[in-house]
Amino acid sequence: MIIGHRHSLSDLSLRITLWGLAALSIILLLAPTLVVLIVSFTSGFSLKFPPPGYSLRWYEALIDAWQLHFAAWNSIKVAALTTLLSVVLGVSASLGIARSEKAMARVLDSFFMSPLILPALAFGLASLIFFSELGIPVSVTTLVIGHTVVCIPYVMRTTIAALAQLPATLLESSASLGADRWYSFRRVTLPLIAPGVGAGAFIAFMSSFDNVPVSLFLRDARTDMLPIRMWQDLEGKLDVTIAALSGVMIFATLILMVVMEKLTGITKRMR
Amino acid sequence: MRTFTPVTVYGLRFTTPLAAFFVLFFLAPLLLLLFISLHNDTALTEFGFSQYTKFFTEGFALPILADTLWLGVQVTLLSLVLGYALAWAFVRSRPSVQTVLIMIIVMPLLTSVVVRTFAWIVILGRQGILNTVLMNWEWIETPARLLYTRSGLVVALANVQLPLMVLPLITALQRIEPNLEDASSILGASAWRTFFKVTLPLTLPGVVAGCLLTFAASITAFISQSLIGGGQMLFMPMYIYQQASTLQNWPYAAAISLVFLVAVMGCVSVFNILGRLSKGYATT
Amino acid sequence: MDLSRRRVLQSALTLAAVQLFPGITHAQARRLVFATFTGSWEEAHKAVLVPAFRKANNNADITLDPMLSVDQIAKVTAARNNPPIDVMLHDPGPALTAISQDLVEPFPVAQSKYYKDLIPEAQESMGPAIFFQVVGLTYNPETVKKAPTSWLDLWKPEFKGRVGITNMNSTLGTGFMVELAKMKGGSESNIEPAFKAIQELKPNLAAVAANPGQLASLFQQGQIDISPGNFNAIQILKAQGVPVEWVAPKEGAIAFKTTIHVVKNSPNRDLAVALIEAAMSPEVQSKLMQAPYLVVPTNTKVKMEGEIAKALAKDHAEMKKKFLFQDWKKINEQRAGWIERFNKDIKV
Repeated sequence: MIIGHRHSLSDLSLRITLWGLAALSIILLLAPTLVVLIVSFTSGFSLKFPPPGYSLRWYEALIDAWQLHFAAWNSIKVAALTTLLSVVLGVSASLGIARSEKAMARVLDSFFMSPLILPALAFGLASLIFFSELGIPVSVTTLVIGHTVVCIPYVMRTTIAALAQLPATLLESSASLGADRWYSFRRVTLPLIAPGVGAGAFIAFMSSFDNVPVSLFLRDARTDMLPIRMWQDLEGKLDVTIAALSGVMIFATLILMVVMEKLTGITKRMR
Repeated sequence: MRTFTPVTVYGLRFTTPLAAFFVLFFLAPLLLLLFISLHNDTALTEFGFSQYTKFFTEGFALPILADTLWLGVQVTLLSLVLGYALAWAFVRSRPSVQTVLIMIIVMPLLTSVVVRTFAWIVILGRQGILNTVLMNWEWIETPARLLYTRSGLVVALANVQLPLMVLPLITALQRIEPNLEDASSILGASAWRTFFKVTLPLTLPGVVAGCLLTFAASITAFISQSLIGGGQMLFMPMYIYQQASTLQNWPYAAAISLVFLVAVMGCVSVFNILGRLSKGYATT
Repeated sequence: MDLSRRRVLQSALTLAAVQLFPGITHAQARRLVFATFTGSWEEAHKAVLVPAFRKANNNADITLDPMLSVDQIAKVTAARNNPPIDVMLHDPGPALTAISQDLVEPFPVAQSKYYKDLIPEAQESMGPAIFFQVVGLTYNPETVKKAPTSWLDLWKPEFKGRVGITNMNSTLGTGFMVELAKMKGGSESNIEPAFKAIQELKPNLAAVAANPGQLASLFQQGQIDISPGNFNAIQILKAQGVPVEWVAPKEGAIAFKTTIHVVKNSPNRDLAVALIEAAMSPEVQSKLMQAPYLVVPTNTKVKMEGEIAKALAKDHAEMKKKFLFQDWKKINEQRAGWIERFNKDIKV
């Protein structure tokens, strides 16, 4: 060993500290999910831990929870439309910005990325005031518009990253072989950036489905959104049904994540 | 030869649809928010700065803003300590372990924030897991009050936002040349000294990026703040929501949203300046 | 000048929005929205009123949007021409506000089948009363061995960190504060003594709930052991075996009626009337009077018997004698200011 024993004590204490904190972090990251899953199988009426017994009753209760079904369906609808709109607008804009040397491109890039940093709650309120001043009632359409603004950055980030990694020689050779731009885009660019776009679309979908600050202002009873309904249920009655719903959502997320990891390598693109 | 446009550049006109969309549905609403905030009355008949005067002089709102930012600082610091250790351990793990770890880190980011917050209600509750464990070990006799407390909120928020901190740190740590640390220890520096004088400074850009994301997310975490903080704590997001929704005082709600927005942007700029400085520091 | 420029800008923006999203300006045909109260009321209405309404009205779609009365009023005020709610539920204070602000329309009394069967106090043409509520003390009998007898028991040192209350947005919170003021020499127009008393209660507070529904769930989670509470809020929990009891304090429990209203400009007016009709019907009211709901009826055809007669009163005459009714007209004069002050005072 190069390191002399004079340092071993210091080295050891550093290692113990960092590994210990890391272990604590992992526990903290895993615990909430595990706790929710365990509590969702309780046979009791409260969130007592450990549960007094185990049953599937809260999952059964979920089947009749029509208010939650209604909100979930609305959220899925809005998330799907938001993803579609974000991909169309976002990929097009990414093509314009990526690899561009113009100063304007950088300005636009910051403009399109700004919803990521701005407090979305302020934007949610602004949207509500905007639509109501124009006499436009809140609806699925207004929700999709609001969500798209805050989801665009996710699509653009992964798409621009994918475009940046695209070998220029490939496009040049495609062009030199006589392919027009549209053909090159479809046959060369698109297949190569597809995983990046897919990852962005997935993150956009999940973040729209989970959106609170914009939905808070742009939803109403007829366009109920799942996170808001869950929040109100938790605040109004701390229902164990929400634990079962959380269980379902955790499993769904896990499955989607594994699928997306296989298809697009999502975890690498989220860094 | 025809005028040459590189085939790899698509031209800024491809950004037009999104630019139009953003001007109409992002910029215009925000400008309207500013316009509305410059009215003295809810019927929007009289121009004036009274909403801002109210915010800065009444003595109730300003502490809420300060407290919200302070909450962000507390959460960010706790996340940083936990997140840095996790990122440090991550880059020292075998690839197979890394695959599992990254899943554990990313998974919460994709799980609904309501679900994650809900989990903390279960953990911190009087009949929750933490109280059960502490009582079983006979560390405490009666259940401690953890939910609806400041420390409970800080821990829960730090955990909810931890992935945002860890991911940029991992990227930063992976870029470090391992020889630098070795060189430092060969030169006789202790492990702690190497850590603080070599490793940490080299990862400063990652630290700044992680702190920025965590800070921004934790001060705007409406759901976590209201469910875990409880009815005796008030932070800016809830304050804005109450003014806008329950009291329908749009001019005031607009004004405090904009003050909040400017405060957040101010903090972000500080982080960005730090980030630029740290990059210079990290490369020299 | 300025106004017309604003109008031009508005139309330009609207035009742009319509160009991008045709159909955005049309209010969609929508299902009936009934803003009930959170917690047990939502449960009871979901289980009894909604099925009865749907059965009588061709399975018409309906959504419950539970929220406090003050929030219902805020939401409807913000969009008078296109209200997001069709049927509102109000305790006496908010009911007066809703009527005076012209947010509700008269109930078509003449066409009603059940209106004439209501007790005289419930026959309000701007919105009939469909039940009474009673506020007393709620406690966990497993942790509070000796049943509380007075509002002042909440201040006992043994309840340090175990008391729950709600803010003054709810009738429960405001009613409790007014009663507290009265006990300490104040009145409906002088609430100062209550605010002083609340400061002294702070060490005992475990939670300040967002609404009465949450208060009940805090018992379920063992988060609080004692609180002011609605009689009905805990009945469903109690039936499920959750250890929670309700008592009338010796100073007297607070009672009030709850009225139901058709919102002005509702696009679903006929269905809204039909929902109110169902809520007044003896079938719905008698089902709601039985366990586990124990809701005080207002229809004279429904006799108060069984559990509810034992726990509260055997008829409306006894109710009026036994419980305290507060002057909500007077309370309303200052309530908005009180709500704001309470929220400031209660912060830690």
